[in-house]
Amino acid sequence: MNAINLKINNEHYDVSVKPHWSLAYVIREKVGLTGTKTGCEMGTCGSCTLLLDGKPVFSCLRMAIDAQGCDIRTIEGVEEDNNGELHPLQEAFIQDHGMQCGFCTPGMIIAAKHLLEHNPDPTEREVREAIGGHLCRCGTYIRIVRSILNAAETMRNAQAGQ
Amino acid sequence: MTSETSVVGKSLPLLDAYEKVTGKLKYAGDLPAMHRMHHAKVLRSPYAHAKVVHIDTSAAEALPGVSAVITHKDDITGKKKTCGSPWHDFSFNFMGPMISPEVCYVGDEVAVVSAVDEETAKEALKLIEVEYEELPAIFDMEEAMKEGAPQVRPWGPNSLPPSLFEWGNIEEGFEQADYIIENRITLGNQQHAPLDRNACIAHWEGDSVSLWTSTQALFWIRDAVTDFFELSPSKVRVYSTPTGGSFGLWWGNNFMLLAIAIARKARRPIRLVLTRDEVQTTVKRRERPLIDAKIGITKDGKMVSQSYRHLMDNGAYGNKFDPYQSVADIYTTEHARVEFIGVATNLLPAGCMRGVGDLTLAYAIEQTVDMAAERVGMDPVEFHLKNHWKTGDICHTSQEVVFAKLLFNKNPTVELTSSGLAECITRGAEAMDWKNKWKGWGTPSSVDGHKVRGVGMGISTHISGLAFFGFNGITVKVNPDGTMALTTGIGRMGQAGDTTQAMVCAEVLGVELEDINVIDGDTEVCGHTMVTFGSNGMHMGARATKAAAEHAKEQILEYAAKHLEANPADLDIKNRRIFVKGSEDRGVTLKELMSTPIFEYLAAPEVIGSASKGVEFDKAGKMMMADFAEVEIDTRTAQMKLIKFVAVHDSGTIVNPAVCENQVAGGYYQSMGLSTTEHLVFDDETGAILNPNFMDYKLMGPLDMPDPEIMFEEVYDEDGPFGAKGIGEGVTCAVPIAISNAVYNAIGVRIDPPITPDKILQALKSKS
Repeated sequence: MNAINLKINNEHYDVSVKPHWSLAYVIREKVGLTGTKTGCEMGTCGSCTLLLDGKPVFSCLRMAIDAQGCDIRTIEGVEEDNNGELHPLQEAFIQDHGMQCGFCTPGMIIAAKHLLEHNPDPTEREVREAIGGHLCRCGTYIRIVRSILNAAETMRNAQAGQ
Repeated sequence: MTSETSVVGKSLPLLDAYEKVTGKLKYAGDLPAMHRMHHAKVLRSPYAHAKVVHIDTSAAEALPGVSAVITHKDDITGKKKTCGSPWHDFSFNFMGPMISPEVCYVGDEVAVVSAVDEETAKEALKLIEVEYEELPAIFDMEEAMKEGAPQVRPWGPNSLPPSLFEWGNIEEGFEQADYIIENRITLGNQQHAPLDRNACIAHWEGDSVSLWTSTQALFWIRDAVTDFFELSPSKVRVYSTPTGGSFGLWWGNNFMLLAIAIARKARRPIRLVLTRDEVQTTVKRRERPLIDAKIGITKDGKMVSQSYRHLMDNGAYGNKFDPYQSVADIYTTEHARVEFIGVATNLLPAGCMRGVGDLTLAYAIEQTVDMAAERVGMDPVEFHLKNHWKTGDICHTSQEVVFAKLLFNKNPTVELTSSGLAECITRGAEAMDWKNKWKGWGTPSSVDGHKVRGVGMGISTHISGLAFFGFNGITVKVNPDGTMALTTGIGRMGQAGDTTQAMVCAEVLGVELEDINVIDGDTEVCGHTMVTFGSNGMHMGARATKAAAEHAKEQILEYAAKHLEANPADLDIKNRRIFVKGSEDRGVTLKELMSTPIFEYLAAPEVIGSASKGVEFDKAGKMMMADFAEVEIDTRTAQMKLIKFVAVHDSGTIVNPAVCENQVAGGYYQSMGLSTTEHLVFDDETGAILNPNFMDYKLMGPLDMPDPEIMFEEVYDEDGPFGAKGIGEGVTCAVPIAISNAVYNAIGVRIDPPITPDKILQALKSKS
């Protein structure tokens, strides 16, 4: 076992990990943040997406031991990053029904958050490409895409109003 | 009849949307660890059929950290039936012991280990020594049905006796026909493939057991555990979390029973989480059909007779023997014969998946109907409109009839309550621009160099629950501030069952959706609701919810009558306020009523509405749908591309349009998977699944298909709550039909799904 410290959503966690444990496994099973979902554990479904130093990654394909010293943001930190209020993306997913069973939702929101931070006015195609590696078995893509586009608009309007 | 509604009909957000967007919603795999909890792993058979002649677990048991090992020697077999429903299709080894000394498919359970962590449990699995004696395995349905074929499993014949539905006189029917069209179809092996990997935690306290798991079948599991462990229902408590998608997968399954068995032996709480590989290869899949269809028509395009022989590949432990839905009835003919035969093979067990028999048989019927229309030279749209099923028609093959026959030896008449099929077909054809695009059978609607396009259509239907699903027990408890708690056994698998039931309750009681708190997923708290399947939620389930809300309303009006010194019959509730009809200024808010003492009792009222309601079997509320597709095939690369898709659904009143749109879209994506890429590949030699993951079993992603055009034909169903019918399963049924027919019109060759480039290439070669 190796003692490491993980910085997740601005909190520090001391955890003992084995070198082969994935970041997704440690965050879920050892830290107890279960908002990050693990559907396939081989980088094919996108459910475990989180932000590692600002970039969306499949955390099932990352080793926890390599994540020491990184800034890790999970779905649980999204409200916190928005002053404790629901992020416009979360609001849009709620209002536009951008989900059915909800299992892919955290990963979708994380991927969309990264997109909108870098491209505040994406085209529909760009939205689909940003979530291109994410599966939704309930087939909610129409409304997921709509949620993201509507959130982008809300955020642009808020920006313009400031 | 229609009614003015204030909650029903609005796209209100899901009640659990906040939990979903913040990652707070707990699926079974997210539940916190319990004190002293150990983790289980399962040793599975590498053989499709073998006898375990010797098993030595001593080294595994001696490994530090291991708390228990169970094998077939533990001999756990439920012999007493306390709760047995008339139907058992667990798609696992329910007829035999929990762990059998004879393994019947690759992935069948051989042993279970529990240990301090998963890694130790995995290590222990490697230390178990097993000696197998291979037995002949059989993977083909028709081979399995042959006389003298090796027995697939230790109990029962390979093929179940056919369940037969006959009306009129089939020989006479075919004699009346001018043309007889015969056809044979099959489909691929689809897997439910929810993203969530299921998990469970089992825990014994004395002789009582608790189980936490994700499921759509709360009480079915309670009853299965009761039967299997020979307990009283009072000793079994099942807690269900929402599923991360289910589509028919998460009913009862052996993995839950294994956890319970080893928890008893280890005397600890046990957690068992399935791997993706296990989800794909050891739970179940859709039954693969092999259907021989025969349709008789007259020269003027009237269907007079139809017969189908529907084989269902049940895999090792599936138990399908009947149609469970009135699929053949999409066309009303005077003469018909439908034969359903469940066949066992040494493959992954098969069971219900979204659409079930409607999807498989409708596919066979509709391919043949397309051929029939071609035979008499009639436009398929016209042919459908001439022959389809109409309101008040008889549902000959309704499941209720099977059980009425089995249990009571009676043969009642079942009538269709409503049908918007004609409108669905007409609107769909218009949206597809069928008149201009359809150029005849096997004739492309347009040709652009090496790219050819074709259009196709298909119709189907699906039940909205059935009588034998049993009763739904519902309560509505009104709080002092006028908010309410609704308890329901409905399963939550992304279909918004909790939200839409609460909408029905809010509508009856004149409150807002946000006033309702839904309590679900606990067998000791909720009334019995067998399983949320067969699209029963919004029809039969909601009828019970509506009745419970009406019961609460009755009590509220009684108390309000005292408060307002009025007659209860003169009162109504709207906008959280009870008022005298006709003089609406005389009233009291629900909050004031519920929190103010009444003179007669010197206390504020306590209101609990309840209802336990089944549905009568003499009426069948069925959803209807017509789908239209336009495909493009590149004749050089044999690639197929979907250009346009139109789905028109009659699910009666649409209670929550956003939820229903998501359902239709979901059915479209899943059935596009079935039509093109989703196919579990079994190794010809070993029977093992070669593509047990999302890398090799391709689901539709956000970039793969165009958005479908979705329309609702809201035909008010007099039998449904606020005119509603079910929706969840029917959404998959007509998609593959439309695709196959469109492909046929594009290239002139019929191909059964999955329609892959290699099949298209073969077809193009066969043509030229």
